[in-house]
Amino acid sequence: MSTYETLIVERRGAVGWLEFNRPEVANAMNSVMLAELERAWAELDADPDVRVIVNTGAGNAFQTGLDVVELSRNPEALREQSRRTKRAELRLTAWHNGVWKPVIAAVNGVCAGGGLHFVADADIVIASANATFLDPHVSIGQVTAYEAIALVRKSPMEAIMRMALTGRHERLSAARAFELGILSQVVDPPERLRDEAQGLAERIAQNSPSAMRATKRALWGALELGLTDACRAGAAEIVSMWGHPDQEEGPLAFVERREPRWQPLEPAGPTATPTNRSEG
Amino acid sequence: MPYSSFDCLIVERRGPVGWLINNRPDRLNAMSAQMRDEFAIAWKELDADPEVRVIVHTGNGRAFQTGVDVTEIATDGLGMERYRDSVADFDLHFTAWHQQVWKPVITAVNGICAGGGFHWVADADIVIAASDAQFFDPHVSVGQVVAIEAIGLLRKMPVEAVMRMAFVGRYERLSAARAYELGMISQIVDPPDRLQDEAQALAEKIAKNSPAAMRATKRALWGALETGLTDACRAGAAELVSMWGHPDQVEGPLAFAEGREPRWHLTPQLGERE
Repeated sequence: MSTYETLIVERRGAVGWLEFNRPEVANAMNSVMLAELERAWAELDADPDVRVIVNTGAGNAFQTGLDVVELSRNPEALREQSRRTKRAELRLTAWHNGVWKPVIAAVNGVCAGGGLHFVADADIVIASANATFLDPHVSIGQVTAYEAIALVRKSPMEAIMRMALTGRHERLSAARAFELGILSQVVDPPERLRDEAQGLAERIAQNSPSAMRATKRALWGALELGLTDACRAGAAEIVSMWGHPDQEEGPLAFVERREPRWQPLEPAGPTATPTNRSEG
Repeated sequence: MPYSSFDCLIVERRGPVGWLINNRPDRLNAMSAQMRDEFAIAWKELDADPEVRVIVHTGNGRAFQTGVDVTEIATDGLGMERYRDSVADFDLHFTAWHQQVWKPVITAVNGICAGGGFHWVADADIVIAASDAQFFDPHVSVGQVVAIEAIGLLRKMPVEAVMRMAFVGRYERLSAARAYELGMISQIVDPPDRLQDEAQALAEKIAKNSPAAMRATKRALWGALETGLTDACRAGAAELVSMWGHPDQVEGPLAFAEGREPRWHLTPQLGERE
C-alpha cells in the first residue's frame, strides 16, 4: 500500500483496513484526509487480495466530521470540498467512490456529524460498547443532509430525526443503536473491536467476490428505486452471474467439504450499471 | 370451494382462514419446479375463495423454506437456465405479492428459513415465527447473487441487518429473538409447536375486520413502497376515498353501537383496479 499522512491503510490477510489516523483531533477530516480518502478507497478496491474492507479510527474517536479548526483558519483549503458538497459529488466514503466490495464500519468511539457518513454508507456496522453517536450540525448552524438522508433509508426514522434535531445536546449509545438495527453487533470489552471486525470480515471473505459485488449493487441500487423497479434491476444482477464459474465451484466445494476457490473479480464487473449517483 | 390437488403443498381452509403449507419436509421444503408451479395456482385459488378472509403460509417439518431445490438444479440438466427468462423479466409467480393477492397474508416461520425462503418473509403482510426459527441467506456462499428477497426486506426493516445476512452468507444465523427486536417479525411463539394455533388465532382476529377496507389498505401500503412519500399519500388518498359510501362503513359503526359482530359486505371477486 502507498503511504498516507492521515490514514493507515493496510491489508491483513483477505481484509483491507482503512483507519482514520488523526487521533489528536478526534480523527476530524482536514483537506489532506479528504484527498487521501479518495485515494485509499481506490487502492483497496483495486487490490485483488482485498476481499472485504474494514473502516475504523485510531484513538478514542471513530470520526467527527470536517475539521472545523482548519475550516475557520484556512477556508481556502476546504474550498474544493465545498464545491463537491454543493454538487453532491462527495468522495469520502466507499459508496461515494463506487467501491463494490463489502465494507464494515467498526465504530471505535465517538462518531459525530460528518462521521455518520461512514456509518450510513457502510454495508455492515459494528461498534465497541463505549461508542456514541451524535450529530452536532444544527448546534453550530449547519444543516444535516447526506448522512441523515442515507440513514433514514436504513434505520427507523424517528431516531435519526431526533439525533439531527437534538444536535450536540444528546448522544445515542451503542446499545440503543443496536436495538434500532443501525448496527448489528456491540463488542465488549471495547478493546476486542478490531479482532471481532477482522473475524467477521474473514467469514465474509469466504464468499464469492463476484456474487457479493452483484449483490451489493442490487441492494444499494434498491435504495434508489420503487420496489418493483428495484426488483427488476435486481433480477438483472441475478442473471448476470448465471454461467459464472463461481456458481459451479460453490456447490462443488460444499459437496467436497473444502473451501471454494473463487474467481478473482473482473475489473469491469459482470454487467449491470452501478447506480451510484456520483457516476452521473 | 374445492381446491386443486397439490403434491408439494397442502392447501385448505380452517374457518375463515386459508392455509398454504409447504409440504416437502424431506427436502426442507426446497422449491422444485413443480412446487413453483403449484404456488402460482394455490395463491390464486385461496384468493378466489370468498370464504377465505386471511391466508396463513407455513411449512411442514423442521424447515419453513430453503429456497430453490439445488439437488434438482444440479441433476436435471437444465439448472437455473430453466428460470432464466422468468427471472430476467421479473415474471415470478410464487408469492402472494407476485400473484397480487390483496387479502391479508401471514407467514408463520416454523423452522429454518434460508435463501429464497426470504421471498415469503419479504412478501407477507405479517410475519410470526416459532422460537426456534432461524434465518440465514447462503446465496453468496455458493456463488449466487441475493437480490429480490433482500430488496423486499430492505423496505420493511433496518437495512444493515439485511446487508449483514446477505454478505455473511452461510457463516452466521439470525435468531427469531433478534428478528423480533429488528421488527422483521412481530411475534415469537414458544413452545414452537403452538405456532399453527397462534397463527390461526391471529388470522381469526384479522378476519373480523372489513375485507373491503383491508384490501384497500393493503393496496395503499404496498403501493407506498413503490413511490416517494407525497406520491404515496396521493395514491393512498384514492384508496381511502374508494371506500366512502361502501356498506361496510355503515355496518361497522352500527355493529359497534349494537354490541355485535359486524356482517361485512361480501365483495364480489374483484379484478385489478389499475
